[in-house]
Amino acid sequence: MPSIKINGRDIEVEEGLTVLQACEEAGVEIPRFCYHERLSIAGNCRMCLVEMEPSPKPIASCAMPINDGMVIHTDTDLVKKAREGVMEFLLINHPLDCPICDQGGECDLQDQAMGYGLDKSRFLESKRAVKNKYLGPLVSTIMTRCIHCTRCIRFAQEIAGVPELGATGRGENMEVGTYVEKALSSELSGNLVDLCPVGALTSKPYEFKARSWELVKTQSIDVFDAMGSNIRIDSRGSEVMRVLPRINNSINEEWISDKTRHACDGLGRQRLDRPYVRRNGKLEEESWDGVLSVIAEKMINTSPKRMAAIAGDLVDCESLVSLKDLMQTLGCNNLDCRQDSGAFGNPRSSYIFNSGIKGIDRADVILLIGCNPRWEAPVLNARIRKQYLNGAIIGVIGPEFDLTFPFEHLSPDLKEIKNMLEHPSEFSDKLAKARRPMLVLGSGALAREDGEAILGAARDLAERVNIVNSEWNGFNVLQRAASRVGGLDLGFVPKTNKDLGTREILRAAEKKEIDVIYLLGSDEIEMDRLGDAFVIYQGHHGDAGAHRADAILPGAAYTEKNGTYVNLEGRCQRALRAVFPPGEAKEDWAIIRALSERIGKKLPFDNLLQVRERMSEVNPIFSNVNKISEASWGEFGSRGEIKDSEFIQPIENFYMTDVISRASATMAECTEVALAKKEKAA
Amino acid sequence: MSIRNWIYTFLNGKKIGVDEFGNRYYTGKGRKLNGRERRWVIYNGKNDASSVPAEWHAWLHYTVDEPLTQIAANSYSWQEPHEVNYTGTGDAYRPKGHDYKGGRRGSATGDYEAWKPD
Repeated sequence: MPSIKINGRDIEVEEGLTVLQACEEAGVEIPRFCYHERLSIAGNCRMCLVEMEPSPKPIASCAMPINDGMVIHTDTDLVKKAREGVMEFLLINHPLDCPICDQGGECDLQDQAMGYGLDKSRFLESKRAVKNKYLGPLVSTIMTRCIHCTRCIRFAQEIAGVPELGATGRGENMEVGTYVEKALSSELSGNLVDLCPVGALTSKPYEFKARSWELVKTQSIDVFDAMGSNIRIDSRGSEVMRVLPRINNSINEEWISDKTRHACDGLGRQRLDRPYVRRNGKLEEESWDGVLSVIAEKMINTSPKRMAAIAGDLVDCESLVSLKDLMQTLGCNNLDCRQDSGAFGNPRSSYIFNSGIKGIDRADVILLIGCNPRWEAPVLNARIRKQYLNGAIIGVIGPEFDLTFPFEHLSPDLKEIKNMLEHPSEFSDKLAKARRPMLVLGSGALAREDGEAILGAARDLAERVNIVNSEWNGFNVLQRAASRVGGLDLGFVPKTNKDLGTREILRAAEKKEIDVIYLLGSDEIEMDRLGDAFVIYQGHHGDAGAHRADAILPGAAYTEKNGTYVNLEGRCQRALRAVFPPGEAKEDWAIIRALSERIGKKLPFDNLLQVRERMSEVNPIFSNVNKISEASWGEFGSRGEIKDSEFIQPIENFYMTDVISRASATMAECTEVALAKKEKAA
Repeated sequence: MSIRNWIYTFLNGKKIGVDEFGNRYYTGKGRKLNGRERRWVIYNGKNDASSVPAEWHAWLHYTVDEPLTQIAANSYSWQEPHEVNYTGTGDAYRPKGHDYKGGRRGSATGDYEAWKPD
């Protein structure tokens, strides 16, 4: 390990670091604009200048690799003068519009100008002005503010994998843009706003809405995909103003998808804010007292065999365990948290991302089966892309799709899994020879009628080509719904084969064999198949479920409750409440608890802590917060035939997949832009 | 109007005109102040500077040589008539929910849009 001297202190650092990283390790902060930990080094802002002996001139620390015996000074007059010079040059062409700039208060340039800026201008010539560019409905540009750090260009190229941004012109005439004007086609474009050290790229939906210092920041968990990305919810009063990523290297690094970031305006529209009961075919407003007694009466008078409960995609584990306990004390086991009827069951390793999201960084051959990670989990897709750049080989079985990286398209037909089992192909050889092969199975593939067979075939393939061994488990299921793994962990599934799952519940309801259906935030099932059943809808948005419902219990959205979510790799995480539910809406587990009292089967918990204790009782993984619990490998799936039918992607439109994003105006705009682009291409 | 002003105006004032509120405008006869003629207004009723309409205001502050009464007479249809400042009077603007307007605010402040069946 090389040993270097920073400001007179000797430290030993790892080989291959840059001077800036070494200084960071020594606890010395270096100002920077262009350098970013997750992007390549550009070295063009010159703000990170430090003095190195015996060099007469200061050096750019971000681009200088360390050598043994280096002597670095960061606090000398020369360094201060050099940085002040750089700052003065940067400010020459930067407008003085901080009071109306959305970046104000969280601007790197503003902060560093406090340390290195001159208090007056020596520049008497005209400032330059640059025309604003159109980058789509999410990123707003004020290009005069650009300081040409090229972070956005590098992000688009390296992380997002859409090389659409670039610079034209040189020197003072340099402009960042898309060459030919168009909207960015990345699902991660919102991250450009976070990366921009100044206010050149700002969030369009959030433009001029709030100032950073008036927002209350709450740490939370995202629910728009199953990744469980760590987010920060910024709220003002009772309104969620924006959502930003939190750094979590084992999940989302520091990126979030555009849906996670910008669907939050859907939280203010189409909200269920009071209970409703259907009388004479019309939904009428009702008090909590009234609606609970109507439901309780109905549930007491119905035989448990003729009741059912389906849970949706955004539900927290607290309400899942409450509803499960309620239904089971009533003697009803027709429960299902898999509203897409996916073939997920026991053991735990058959429905989670066994290698962990971090495991992608170690995989060398990746086989994607029946999934489109770019839409099902965009941040995870960026991670696969990163591993592709590190040399991983990627194969795809299923429909072809632009995944932002090249891959070997093995077959559009899922039958190829069986083929690979029976006749080893070129790609299965690559898998077998790989040190850490990985298989990613899409939840859409498992939701087919022959899902069990696909799961079984994938499992056999995994065993055949050594995807699963004593130190590495590369068998991964890519879940789409935030609540799915949690629901399966809590056993929110039919208890025995005689009890009904989603598919059978719908079939039975069509035949009028089900009288009461409890929908816990479930909107993505076929509502017209529910027959004459009395439908109780508990949720936060008026969507398909609320339209069909006979009784509506207004619940809380993910920003409005303290909830537990288990992400696709089986990591249990807690989200905190940022704002209160609107109107008369209540937290979901509390609604179920109140209902249980009306029915006369009071659930044994009175507060959140007791609900969580109950969750840990059902499954010990819930006491292991923020960590992945080991899942043991076992026998699962069936040896059945895989059908010949064409595989249909479960997500038609990335921007609208759930009740919140369907209510969001921003997401509607993104959809429009994406559609226009698709038509143009066709 | 104080007695002193009345006497001064009677002796030195030359009437230039009257505006729509009945305020009278004068210049000094011959006597100049700081090299220019004196201009002043005698208010109709309470002294309220905001009751001077724009066409007289410009003249009173030496922006123009003649009052802009001609231009004001031919005003555009979208121009609003001049109003005095009502702050502190009973006609002042008060938002809904103000104590003098019942003091009851609307129950929902409109930060979310509720779903309505059908």
